[in-house]
Formats: sequence, structure tokens, C-alpha cells
Amino acid sequence: MDAMTVILEASALTKSYGDTHALAGVDLSIEAGEAVAIMGASGSGKTTLLHVLAGILAPDAGSMLLRTGRGEIEISGLNDRARSALRRETFGFVFQQGLLIPELTALENVALPLMLRGTPRTDAEQLAARWLAELGLTGLEQRRIGQLSGGQAQRVAVARAQAIEPLVVFADEPTGALDSTTSSEVMDALIASTTGRGRTLVVVTHDEGIAARCGRVVRLRDGRIVESRSRVAGFDYAQTPPASQAAFGAPAEQRGETR
Amino acid sequence: MRTLAIARLLARPAASGRTAIVLPIVAFGVATALLLTTLAGAMTFFGRHDELAFTYQALALLACALLLVPLVTLGGSAARLSARRRDDRLATLRLLGANTAFVARLTVLESVLLAIVGASGGVVLYLALTPLVGLISFRGHPLGAGALLLNPLVVAAVVVGVGLLAAVSAVIGLRAVVISPLGVRARQSAPKVHWMRIVLGVLVIGAVVLAVAQPSMFGGALTIVIVLVVAFAAANAVLGLVGPFVIRMFAKSGLKHATTPQRLIAARTVLESPKAAWRQVSGVSMTTFVAVFAGTALAMIGAVSGERMPHSQEVLLADIRTGVFITLAISFLMVACSIGVGQASAILDRRDLYVSLDRMGMPVKTMDAARVRSVLSPLRIVTIGSAVAAVVVILPIAGAALIFAPASLLTIAASIVGGILLIWLGLLATRPVLTRVLAEPVAPRE
Repeated sequence: MDAMTVILEASALTKSYGDTHALAGVDLSIEAGEAVAIMGASGSGKTTLLHVLAGILAPDAGSMLLRTGRGEIEISGLNDRARSALRRETFGFVFQQGLLIPELTALENVALPLMLRGTPRTDAEQLAARWLAELGLTGLEQRRIGQLSGGQAQRVAVARAQAIEPLVVFADEPTGALDSTTSSEVMDALIASTTGRGRTLVVVTHDEGIAARCGRVVRLRDGRIVESRSRVAGFDYAQTPPASQAAFGAPAEQRGETR
Repeated sequence: MRTLAIARLLARPAASGRTAIVLPIVAFGVATALLLTTLAGAMTFFGRHDELAFTYQALALLACALLLVPLVTLGGSAARLSARRRDDRLATLRLLGANTAFVARLTVLESVLLAIVGASGGVVLYLALTPLVGLISFRGHPLGAGALLLNPLVVAAVVVGVGLLAAVSAVIGLRAVVISPLGVRARQSAPKVHWMRIVLGVLVIGAVVLAVAQPSMFGGALTIVIVLVVAFAAANAVLGLVGPFVIRMFAKSGLKHATTPQRLIAARTVLESPKAAWRQVSGVSMTTFVAVFAGTALAMIGAVSGERMPHSQEVLLADIRTGVFITLAISFLMVACSIGVGQASAILDRRDLYVSLDRMGMPVKTMDAARVRSVLSPLRIVTIGSAVAAVVVILPIAGAALIFAPASLLTIAASIVGGILLIWLGLLATRPVLTRVLAEPVAPRE
């Protein structure tokens, strides 16, 4: 892998909760513009890995490097406040439903990350409206989150993650609560707005169908990476149709997991 | 039996930690202890039959009326917290197929248990306080601890009453879960506050002013006192009716002009539930209301105390002053408890919101600023509104000269400042609840 294009580089990451070793020495490099799916059974450490990569959690040991145009940042060495600032300025997040702010309208939810960076409200709302339009949500700007369907709400979350033009978008089970058609639409939106624009996407999923949309699948078991497989070198993410599970060669024990 | 077994399972500390169990117990305890002490104090005036007995009894009733609404508010908010903390789990139980009656039984059982535990603690606290409260002197003599011991039947009735209040609040809070298991999780509807509240509020205040201005039209002396007591309690309750509507109006304007994330979130938080925003600060509305009465009473005493009068009259004036201070102190204690409970429950209620903001990278300082703003903005409106309402009600009896006398203004100002300080301390004291809520969900097990 060309060191120049690696945007996130994790080395020997460990993280424990009491006696449970959620991460037991994880090494992982993620290239700029890549879509990486992190898979594994419940308790395998995949959500912890996403949280450490995104600076939500600090690892117990190991190094977590972020390479930006302005230089390298050792994320694991940052304090809470600096990691919070990093998430605000550099990353976008799409979580399973429920993490949009229910009191705010769709427009305000998307404008909020921009306002947190100091963008004036009117400018932030204009940009937010553009993102909502891009994701096919024109006319729903003033709806509260509870008044949207699951798929619409998740597309608002995708718009919110894109609003600050992040370097990396982290998604945790972004389609976990959706039916298969809606889930496919949301994944289309997520991939088009991230890797389709040269941004990096890291997604935690149980769903082989979702993983098949990503260029690389990393599998975890007991806090260790047991497999990291790229599909095709020079892969064109934006135009790739969903691939079948069989094409991916998922290990037998993972197959029954799709929700 | 099955209900009990599942109640035991769910009683284990949840993500909300022990706060959600301890707070309602403490609040029920304090509310019960204050209620019993107030009742016991009032009862001491009903054993005598001399010429001043009636005056004392009337004043004791008036103080009880002024304290009744804050007491019920405190009990209600404790009950709501104890019922609400299980909303999520109960919604899950419903989704898993538990039937309506089972979920209802479980919630009511939990809330009533917490209330009874708290109320029993309150009885112990009341008994422990009697020697101290007995030192307070009325009619020239200390009340004495013995005089403050209530009939055990009355004590038992109060404990049962607190349990019933908890049960009723739990059932009301439960309706949302029972109607729609998903509704509680998704928060689909933004509650509306109707303008009829204003109309109703103005009508009741008008009726109260009329009743206070011309009490003689109601006949005998006892009737006059009852009319006064009911009128003051009604005016007090009206504040609770009108408050949410006014708060919503101001929050709407705040939303329009919000330039920062904290202002935007604060305004939306208030608009999400003006009634909840009102409950957070309603305690101060009560102290402000009581303070206007207290201030006027003190000014009245000051005005006549220079004159020559019989000894019994002098004692009466000194006693009124004592009574005024006690009423103020008790209402402040209740406010302090209400705020602690209200703030903790507001944070636990909005756990998802705070976690989401934290992950997006919103600094805890900004979240806290939004929280503080969502409480302090309504507070401004509430204190001014309550003071004006109280002045309108008391004007027919006392006259402007007494209400705006230095002693009165000083009491009012000190009470308002004290109330705001208490709310601010409540916000400060509950910040650890916020940091704990943020620390817990970021520890995934996979």
C-alpha cells in the first residue's frame, strides 16, 4: 500500500472493559477514498474499533495516526477536548437510527455541525438545504425527525455527516433498522456522497449485502483482525452495483448473521 | 408474582445509574417530612379557643394554602422521575409482547414502592425534626416537640397519600407507552400548549381579585377566610396553567433569533415541552409569589409596630413575622429539591440527545450552556410574571404603599435572587449526571 495515500493508520491497538478484551492488538491501514466494511459477530470488537478510529474512545495502548493535508495527528495521544474538536472538524458520523436530535427539524440537524464550527446560522442552513436536496429530501426541511420515515431520517443523518465536508465518514450499522429496499437506498446515498466524492468511508455492519458495497472487508474475532480482503484493485466505488454474498466468499460462520 | 420477579430484575442499576432511584426517594422523603411538619405546625393552633385563636388558625390555613401547590409539584415531579426512568425498558417490554396490564402493574408497583420507601424516610425525618421545630416560639411559648406529634392515623394517611400520588403520576406517564410502544422512543409528536390557558388564567385571576377585594359578599368570617385561602391557592395554580404558554411564546422568538448551537438547542428544548420547561422553574414562581405576600406582611408589621398596642397584639405581630419566615424557608427547601430532581430527570430523559452531540464533537461546555440556557431563559419570564400576578392579587387588600415599601421590596428581591441562585446551583450540581451519561454509552461491548 502506498504510504502517501494512507489516511488512517492503527498499530497494535488494545482496549479492555474490565476483563473483556474488546481490542487485542489491531493493526489497520485505511487509504484515502476507500470504503472499508468492518464485520464480526456480536462482541468481536467492531464497534469499539470504529469508536477508537474515530477518536470517540481512547485506546488503552497502541497508536492511531490520522494523515491530513496539513500533517500527521496521533489521535490516541489527544485529550478529550482535542478529540472532540477533531471529530467536529474532520469526521462525519452516521449511526443507527435515534442519534439525530428529535427536537430539531431536518434542516437544523444538518446545519448543526456547521454551526458548531462557527458558520453563521443562515449560511449553515443554506448549505444544509443544498445537502438535503442532494439526498432527495427537498420539501422535508422543516419536518421534525419523528415525522420522517426511517429511510428519510437516515438520509438526513447522511446529509449531516457530509455537511462539514469531512475527511472520513464513520457509519455504525447505518441501515440496521431499515428494510432491505430502504437500506439499499441509504447505502447508495452514503456511498455516492463519500467515496463517490473521493472521501473515505468506514462502516461497521452485520449485513453482508452492505459489506459487499465496500471495496474492502475487515473481519474481527475476539478483538483481532482475522481477515482483510479487498475486492478488485482500482475499484470504481460509485458505479459498482451491489454484489452477491457468494461473490465475497464470506466465512461460513458469518453467513447467518444478516439482520 | 411474575410482576414482582420482573420488577426485581429491572431494579438493577441501569445506564442512568443509581441517581434515578435515589433522587425520587430523597424527594418523596423531603416532601413528606415538610408536609407532616407543616401539618403538625398548623394543628398546634387548632387546640385553643381564646379570642385570637381564630386569627392564628386563619393564618395557619393561609400558609398551608401557599405551600400546598409547591408540595404537590415536588411530589409530582418525583413520581414522574420514578415512572419515566423505566420508559425505555417498558417500551422494550411492550415490543417483546408483554401485555398492557402487565406493563401498567410493573410501573405502578415500582413508583409506589419508591414513594413508600421515601415517605417512610420522610416520617423518620419529620420525627427527628420535631425537637428542633418545637423550639420555635408562638404565642409567647415554644411549641414543644410533644405538640408537634401528629395522630399516627394522620401520618399513615399522608404516607398512603404520597403512594397514591406516585401511582396516579405513574399511570399518567404510562399512557404514552401503552398507547404506542414506539412513540416513546421516536418522540413523534411535539406537544402543543393551548391559548385557552391564557384566557382561563385571566378569568381565574380576575375572579380571585374580585373575591379578595370584596370578601364580605360571601358572608361570615370563616367563609371569608376559606374564600381567601382558596383564592390564593387558585392564583398559585393559575401560574402553572399560564406559565407554559408564555414560556412557549418567548421560546419561539428565541428560536427565530438563535445564532449559536446552544441557543438553537435551548429554544428547541423549551419548545419540545413548554410544560416540562415550566416544571423546571415553577418552584421559583412559587417562592416569588410567596415572597410578595411575605414582603407585604412584613411591611404591614413594620408599619404598625411603632404604635402602642396590647401585649397580645405585639405577640401576634412577632408570630406573623416568624410564620412568614418559616413559610419562605419551607418553600425554598421544596424548590431546592424540585430542581435537583427536575434537572437529573431532564438529563436522563435527553440521554440520546447528549450522546449524539458528544459523538459529533460538541464540547461538553456547549451542551451545558444549552442546558443552562434552556432553564434560565424561562426563569426570567417566570419570576417577573409571578411577581406581577401576586401584586395584582394582593393589591386590593394591602394597597400599593405596603407592597412597594422598602421592607417588602427587599424581601421580594432577596427571594428572587435566592431562587435564581438555587436553580443555578441545581444546574451546577447535576452536571456530573451529564458527564456520567456521556461516559456510559461510549463503552460498547463489541
